[in-house]
Amino acid sequence: MIEIKDFTFTYRESTEPVVKDVNLSIPDGAFVGITGAAGSGKSTLTYAMNGIIPHCYPGDFFGSVTVDGLDTCDTQLTDLSLVVGSVCQDIDSQFVASIVEDEMLYGMENFGVPHKHIEERLTRALDDMGIGDLRDRPIDSLSGGQKQKLAIASILALNPKVLMLDEPTAELDPASSVGVFELLTRYAREHGTTVVVVEQKIALLSHYADMLVIVDEGRIRFSDTPTAVLSHSDELLEIGVNCPRATTLMNRLAADGIYGGPVCRNVEEACRALAEVIA
Amino acid sequence: MKGFLEYVPGDSLLHRLNPVVKLIGAILFAVACFCTSNLVFLACMLALALAMSASCGMLRATTGLMKAVFVFSLLLAIIQILFTPSGNVLVQLPWGYIGTGSLLAALTTVIRLEAAAIPLFLTFYVTKISDMTNAAVKVLHVPYKYAFTFSSTVHFIPVFLNDMSNIMEAQTARGVEFDQGSILKKIGLMVPLCVPLLVSSVRKTNSAAIAAEVRGFNLRTRESGYKQYPFAARDFLALGLVVALLVCAICLSVLL
Amino acid sequence: MTIEFRDVHASYDENIPILKGVSFTVNDGEFVAFVGTNGAGKSTTMRLMNGLLKPESGEVLVDGVPTTQLKTSELARRVGFLFQNPDSQICCNSVREELLFGFRALGALDEEAERRVDDIIAEFNFNPNDDPFLLNRGTRQLLALASTIVVAPPVIVLDEPTTGLDFRECVKVMDIIRHLHEQGTTVIMVCHDMEVVADFAERVIVMSDGRAVDQGPTFEVLRNRHTLRQASLVPPQIVDISLGLSLMRPDLGSSLVACANTLNEMEAAVAAAAGRPEAARSKPTYATTAPGAEDAFEEGGVR
Repeated sequence: MIEIKDFTFTYRESTEPVVKDVNLSIPDGAFVGITGAAGSGKSTLTYAMNGIIPHCYPGDFFGSVTVDGLDTCDTQLTDLSLVVGSVCQDIDSQFVASIVEDEMLYGMENFGVPHKHIEERLTRALDDMGIGDLRDRPIDSLSGGQKQKLAIASILALNPKVLMLDEPTAELDPASSVGVFELLTRYAREHGTTVVVVEQKIALLSHYADMLVIVDEGRIRFSDTPTAVLSHSDELLEIGVNCPRATTLMNRLAADGIYGGPVCRNVEEACRALAEVIA
Repeated sequence: MKGFLEYVPGDSLLHRLNPVVKLIGAILFAVACFCTSNLVFLACMLALALAMSASCGMLRATTGLMKAVFVFSLLLAIIQILFTPSGNVLVQLPWGYIGTGSLLAALTTVIRLEAAAIPLFLTFYVTKISDMTNAAVKVLHVPYKYAFTFSSTVHFIPVFLNDMSNIMEAQTARGVEFDQGSILKKIGLMVPLCVPLLVSSVRKTNSAAIAAEVRGFNLRTRESGYKQYPFAARDFLALGLVVALLVCAICLSVLL
Repeated sequence: MTIEFRDVHASYDENIPILKGVSFTVNDGEFVAFVGTNGAGKSTTMRLMNGLLKPESGEVLVDGVPTTQLKTSELARRVGFLFQNPDSQICCNSVREELLFGFRALGALDEEAERRVDDIIAEFNFNPNDDPFLLNRGTRQLLALASTIVVAPPVIVLDEPTTGLDFRECVKVMDIIRHLHEQGTTVIMVCHDMEVVADFAERVIVMSDGRAVDQGPTFEVLRNRHTLRQASLVPPQIVDISLGLSLMRPDLGSSLVACANTLNEMEAAVAAAAGRPEAARSKPTYATTAPGAEDAFEEGGVR
C-alpha cells in the first residue's frame, strides 16, 4: 500500500537530513505502529506518507514515496488526502466547527461526497467510533477521548484506504487510550483499512499493531512484527525505546535460562507463559 | 469569558430564522438605530431588542453584554456632555456649559448603542458560526475563502482566550501578582506574556491550515455545502419588519 | 510543609460540581501521586493547592493556613507548580532570563538568586543564551521544571510531568524529581503513567468522579482490585501480571509471585518458583543512557 524507496529529506531551514535512506514497505491492511525517541524523524516519515511533505513543507526530497500507486511528488495533496486520511496531533486546531455534526460534514462537503450519501456515511463513521449519540453536542463539551474519536470519525467519513494518526493518545488517560486503539483495530479489521500510528506508548503498539517500525536518528532500525522487534529489548533501550515491562520481564527470564518460549507482547501473554514456567 | 459570543443551542423563533436573515436583520436594525435621534423611537428599539433576547432565553447573557456596552457608551456620553453645549444652561464650564440638550444627546447615545448592539450580539448566540458562513456562501454568494477566514477567526477566539488564561495562571503560580495592583500595573505585567501567546498561536494556525488543506479546503465550491438554507414565511416577515423599522427611522429623521 | 484538604467542594461553574468533598493530608517530605481518569478532578485538586482556585466549601490548608487567606502570589513561594504544557509557563527570550523570572516575580532577585540560577544551568546542562522557544519539547519541559525548582519551593506540584516526553526525557525529568524528593522537597504529582507512579510514588491517592476513593501506600492501592475497577485504572504491568497469575492459579496463595510488585521482585520470585533462584540477578529497571542519570531508576518501587 505504501512504498518508500531510498527516501532522504532535509527541511529547507536545516542542513542535516531528518530522515536518511529510508526503505519501507507497508502492506495493504496492515496495522503499523511507528515509534522512536523525540526528534528521531518519525513525524517527518508520516508527513512523507500523507503528502504534507513535499506539498506543505519545502525541502530537499530524494528517493520516492508511493501510496496506493500514486507518487506523492506528482500527485496533488487533495488527491492524496482521499487515499490517506490524516488525523493531526493537535486535534483542537484540526476542528473547524463548534458542533460535532458540522465537523463531520466539513471534509465530505469539500471532497464533494454526493449529498445523498452524506447522511449514511456520517452516521456510520460516528457509530464506528462509538460516538453516535454525540452528534448534536458542542465540541467544547466533549471529553478528550471523545474529541479524539470525533477527529478520527471525521476522517473515516471520507473512506480513506490508509488512516494515519500522529500520537492519538498523547493527551488521553490509559482507559481512553485503550478505548481508541480498540475502536481503531476493530474498524481496520472490518474495512480492511491500512492504519499507521505514531505513538510514544509502546505498550499499546506492542499489543495492537501487527507491524512495528522503530526510527532512530532518521533511519529505520527495525521494521518487523512486534514479537520480532521486541526480542531486541537491549538495543531498543540504547536508542531510547523502552519495551513494555511484561516483555522486559520475559526477556530477562529468557536470558536467565528460565523461560524458553516466544517473546511476550503484553500482560496476557506473559501471564500465560509464566503459568507454565512456575507449573 | 467562557461562552462569550458562543452559540447556545435552542429552539426559539430566532434560532430557527434563516442565518442570513438574522445577520442582515441585525445589521439593518443597527443602521436604523443610527438613522434617527428620536429618543422615543430608540427606546422602542431597545425594548424590542430586549424582547427578542427574552424570546430566546438569552436575557442573562444580554445583561452582561449591556454592562460592557454601557461602560463604553458612558465614555462617549461624558464627552458629549462636556463638549457639546446645547439647550438650557445647567452648569457653566470654563470652555462652555452643560445644557439640557447635552444630557439628552448623551442619553440618546447610550440608548442607541445599547439598542444597536444587542441584536448583533444576539445573532452570534442563536446562530451556529458554521450555519452563518455556509448560508452566506450559499445564499449571498460570498466567496468561501472569506467566509472560512471569518469563521475560523471566530472559532479561534475562545481558543486564544483559553491559552491566555492558561499563561496568566502559570505566571500567577510563579508569583506574578496578577491578583493585586492597579489595572495599569496588570497590563504592564501582561505585555511580556504576549510572546508565548504569539508563539502558540502561530503553531496552532499553522497546524490548522495544514489540517484544513488535507481535508479538501481547496476543493470547496458554493455547491459543496450539504445543508440548505431555504427562506420560510417567517424569514420574509422578519426581513419585512426590520425594513419597516429602517424606513420608520429614516422618515423620523427626515420629517422631524 | 503539609497540605491538607478538609471536605473540599469546588467547581468552575456552580451547576457542574467537580470536587464533591475531598479530604486528604500530604505530609512534609512525602512523594504522593494522584491517579484516576481524565475528568476525575485531579487537575482541579492541583489548582486548589496553589490557590489558582479557591474551594467553595471546606478548607485547603497549606502549612496550616487556609488558601483563602493567602494571595496566589504568596502561595507561589510555598508551592511550586509545573504545568502540563511548558509553553504556558515559558515567557522569556533566553534560558537564563527564564530562570531568573521566578525570583523577579517574587521580588527576590539578588546575588544569591543569580548564583542559584547559574548552579541550575550547570546542573541541567543548559546553554544560558538559548532561545527557549526554539528548544525541543523535552528540553522545554526540563526548562519549565528548572524554573519551578530554582526558587526552591518546599512543595512542588507536577501536573502530568512526563506527558509528551519520550523515554529518555521521562527518565531525566523523573530523576531530577526523585533527587529533589530525597533532599526533602514534598512532591505531589498527577500521573497517568502507572509505571512511573509505581517506580517513584510512596503513596497514591485515587480519584474518581470528584472524590478521593482510595489512598494508601503505592502498591497496596495499585493491587486493590476493587479500587482499580472503580477508578478504571490499569495497574502497572508487573502488578497486573502478579494479579493475573494469582487469579489463574489460586494455589499460589500469598507466594512471592503473587505479591511481586517490581521487575526485580518478579524475576526473583519466578526464578525461585521455577527452582532456579540463583539464575535471577538484580538489574537496574532501566539501563538508562541519559547523561547524569546513571543512578536513576536503579531499583523500582518504594524506597
